[in-house]
Amino acid sequence: MAESPVRTAFAEEALTHLDTLYRGALRLTRDPDQAQDLVQEAYLRALRYQHSYQQGTNMKAWLFAIMRNLFWDRFKGSRKEDVSLDDSGDFALYDKLKDDGAKPEEDVLDKLAASEVVGAVEKLPPLHREVVLLVDVEGFSYKDAAQTLGVPIGTVMSRLHRARQQLQKSLYDYAVESGIVRSDGMKNVGSQRNRAEGSDFVGPRQVPQQ
Amino acid sequence: MNCKDCSEKLDRYVDRELNDTEVLELQLHLEGCPDCMDHYEFQDHLKRLVKHSCDCDTAPAAFREKLRQILT
Repeated sequence: MAESPVRTAFAEEALTHLDTLYRGALRLTRDPDQAQDLVQEAYLRALRYQHSYQQGTNMKAWLFAIMRNLFWDRFKGSRKEDVSLDDSGDFALYDKLKDDGAKPEEDVLDKLAASEVVGAVEKLPPLHREVVLLVDVEGFSYKDAAQTLGVPIGTVMSRLHRARQQLQKSLYDYAVESGIVRSDGMKNVGSQRNRAEGSDFVGPRQVPQQ
Repeated sequence: MNCKDCSEKLDRYVDRELNDTEVLELQLHLEGCPDCMDHYEFQDHLKRLVKHSCDCDTAPAAFREKLRQILT
């Protein structure tokens, strides 16, 4: 039997957000098959509860909320399994590198492979990982992320801050393992830095306009 | 604004969550403070690195078609 035009139109609109949901599911489950199962179930549930979606509101956020709630229900069992992250100080990676005269962005961040960054994101506890996915990867505002996750904006901000600290620590470990920096904290990129110092002066930095 | 205030607002600046007045105050501080500018550039670079590393995954075409068959 053919589906109703309303249902078909709703499904088509919902499918425009498939990549966002799939990416989120992939990062949460860390398994392509489980990610597809999770996304399919989320879409079926979204269609079942189509009446609860308010036209004109953020459908991507609504769908992501359904998907992450299913993740917590099915894949984790209990939110208590999540691990909290301590607030252990700002700019961990940055502080470790700047005293050595390195430029942390150019000497380290630019040398990390995408797979290493994805690995660092996937090592985050799920409650922190999902905030990074929403705000940093999908560009959600704090308000939309808070509504999606069902938490206050302050919780989004604190989880995001701690997640970024943890990311820096993981990326520092990757940088040591891959030889970008040495474990004693000294960077291993001296010749490249010397070349940069000898390059043409490019003028003062500008604060970007927002 | 001092460096402590700047550090506390840096996440929200990088995430475009400050209001216009706060943005102007923070930008004024950054222009006169190389240390905070370095922190800002690092945080902004890290955010972009995470985005670019994680947003290249797309749903497989066969999965997209399967969903379309199921849902429409």
